Amino acid sequence: MSDLILRGVAGLLAGPLLGGLTSGLDRILTARLQARQGPPLQQPYYDVVKLLAKELVVVNAWQAFCVYSHLFATVLAVVLFALQADLLLILFTEAVGAVFLVMGAMASTSPYSQIGAHRELLQILVYEPLLFLVAIGIYLETGSFRLTAVFQWPVPLITQLPLLFGVLCLVLVIKLRKSPFDLSAATHAHQELVRGLFTDFSGPLLGLIEIAHWYETVLMLAFCGLFWAGGLLPMTTLALAAVMGVILMDNATARLNWRWLLGYGWLAGMTLSLINLIWHFRGAG
Amino acid sequence: MSIEQRPRRCGGWLERLIQHARVRSPWLLHFDCGSCNGCDIEVLACLTPLYDVERFGIVNVGNPLHADLLLVTGTVNRRNARVLANLYRQMAAPKKVVAIGACGLSGGIFREADNVIGGIDRIIPVDCYVPGCPPRPEAIIDGVMRVLERFGTGHPKEDVAKGKGIP
Amino acid sequence: MRRAVIPFGPQHPVLPEPLQLKLSLKDEVVVEALPALGYVHRGLESLATKRDFHQMVQVCERVCGICSVLHAICYCQGIEEIMGIAVPDRARYLRVIWGELLRLHSHLLWMGLFADSLGFESLFMQLWRIREQVLDIQEATTGNRVISGVIRIGGVCRDIDDAQRGWIQTTLAAVDRAVRQIAPVLREDFTICARTVGKGILSAEKARELGAVGPVLRASGIAQDIRQTGYAAYGELDFNPVIETAGDCHARCMVRLGEIHQSIDLIGQALARLPQGAIRNPVHGKPTGETVMRVEQPRGEVLYYLRADGGKTLARMHIRTPTFANVPVLIDLLPGLGLADVPVVVLSIDPCISCLER
Ligand code: SF4
Repeated sequence: MSDLILRGVAGLLAGPLLGGLTSGLDRILTARLQARQGPPLQQPYYDVVKLLAKELVVVNAWQAFCVYSHLFATVLAVVLFALQADLLLILFTEAVGAVFLVMGAMASTSPYSQIGAHRELLQILVYEPLLFLVAIGIYLETGSFRLTAVFQWPVPLITQLPLLFGVLCLVLVIKLRKSPFDLSAATHAHQELVRGLFTDFSGPLLGLIEIAHWYETVLMLAFCGLFWAGGLLPMTTLALAAVMGVILMDNATARLNWRWLLGYGWLAGMTLSLINLIWHFRGAG
Repeated sequence: MSIEQRPRRCGGWLERLIQHARVRSPWLLHFDCGSCNGCDIEVLACLTPLYDVERFGIVNVGNPLHADLLLVTGTVNRRNARVLANLYRQMAAPKKVVAIGACGLSGGIFREADNVIGGIDRIIPVDCYVPGCPPRPEAIIDGVMRVLERFGTGHPKEDVAKGKGIP
Repeated sequence: MRRAVIPFGPQHPVLPEPLQLKLSLKDEVVVEALPALGYVHRGLESLATKRDFHQMVQVCERVCGICSVLHAICYCQGIEEIMGIAVPDRARYLRVIWGELLRLHSHLLWMGLFADSLGFESLFMQLWRIREQVLDIQEATTGNRVISGVIRIGGVCRDIDDAQRGWIQTTLAAVDRAVRQIAPVLREDFTICARTVGKGILSAEKARELGAVGPVLRASGIAQDIRQTGYAAYGELDFNPVIETAGDCHARCMVRLGEIHQSIDLIGQALARLPQGAIRNPVHGKPTGETVMRVEQPRGEVLYYLRADGGKTLARMHIRTPTFANVPVLIDLLPGLGLADVPVVVLSIDPCISCLER
């Protein structure tokens, strides 16, 4: 029992700690790739503290409710992961969180926010099925949706399901809001939608969304880590490698549009997953 | 009022942390209020590798709801005065305004032109003036840093200053 | 289907300037675009009747901070024509050098913003880093990074010495190399092509009909460049207008890329042939008469109309700027585009609102 509580607390702390650091690292690396020096590592914390201390301007109560639910659902997903619960349960919780954010954005009247929300929905439509395919791949391989079983699996999953790992990286690009798929919102305002999805959230609410984003990042990285679940070191190595890849990608591409994402991104993800599954299990069977 | 004199409701360290975070994480909104572009490109140049203001945590967010600092270049005219006042109103407290270039200070070279009202302090309160036509990026960064020092003092409530209205 | 109206601007991160476009959207596709102007209108032309005609040179430079020198050159050439002042040879070459440096930095700036509108932030940063070297030259030779203030009626007020000449050549060679390194990305990168090729196509007939100027016109295959008229020292230097035929955003980008190399080449030629002699002829008396003067800016042809009736100030000054000529093109291009392509197409004409509204 106490073991469970400990793990839950670890999950709770992982969000702000690992998520914040990853985001700080991301900003530094991005800056370096752009021949700049970049902010200090603790910059995301400054940002969040500042945002939380700003004046609260709520467009409507629904918006605030959605943000709290979004945060709650994402935190819950990470805690469930730390408790090594059911993979599907975690994915569904996470999806609920994502949808709440969209609802919050839709609750405002700003056209930027509306269009951002619409695009975010399209993105969810693209990445959720892919995530489930990854989960199914893991299930077919290990014979269980429970993370406990996955952690005990002797061989690194990445050797069996390399293409699925690629698909997961694609999802990571979308989830971390990186180019070429930073369609609905971006950290830096350099696009047609100002800050898209986030346009109408301000001050403390934006701070909470940022914290939720840390948890989301941790969750996604933990997923990546699952592909080499042989202990903490290999897990982090794999996750870091994935982050590096995503940042490189971000800096080497322009933004594509959502038609492209829906058309090719989805198709590519699906095909890769299916090829991997068929190839692996024909061979094994 | 300095930090020390204020009632410490949640303990001094929290307040200090917040002040510190504010100084380290100013998000800015740049508004071209009828400038000749000279100042704008220098503001943009501040974001690029040679000057890189992200070192100080400065990010150009382009959204008044998220911004802490408003950088205004250029003169106010009868049409953009309303936009300027609006942007200022949309920003959440605490917020500061930096006026950039001779135009933003007083109307500069265009002062006597037909459609020019004058410097931006005719419309909204300004915390820092950066002179020059155009000012060098170093001067702009310096102006921003000076405003940031002022985030460290004063109660947030004081920062909710009132604009002087649209003429 | 809902129709959403998005106010694109006046404050928008993609455009550093307040152009406002009211976009009517249907499913993220533009059905109608209406420009709303006047946010930068200062009434600058009216200053001509208030300021001394010598002082107006400085005001003209501030029509637009990006094309500053070329505005001043155009104005001065106009006054010189009215008053019949000959410009010393050396000054004519120096005008070419500063004019082309300006084109260089303006095109690099534009390319950065263009990359930014595509969401390619690292390219933006790299291009602006290269641009800083050009600004260094500007600063070393004129004393100012952006608005140089070296052009005077009857000549220029600063000189370039021999030591600087060598240094400028080497710096420009470095710029040339850096741009050549980046060029393949702009030309061939998959994501950039996906966003620019075939977007906002302007045919040659349409370009003529709508009166497009500058790189927009040349990207549609029409070889027209006001520098061919040979003002300043252009008549003695050799160059050919850079043209492309596709007429889309990618072609406009390529034209500007070509012009970057062209400018570097022109500066090299001008530096090599820089004649000795005075840099400024004295100006006596007051202007009387009227004239029209054209100059090729980075964005296209600028036209000045000047009328003076012997007073200290001019009687009338009118400026038609390149963006003014290109906005009808923009309004024609936008309908039918997806929202994501709007910033790209808007930027592809290189709008300069401060010029447009003066
Ligand atoms: S201060 Fe000078 S450079 Fe700045 S906008 Fe005014 S005229 Fe242009």
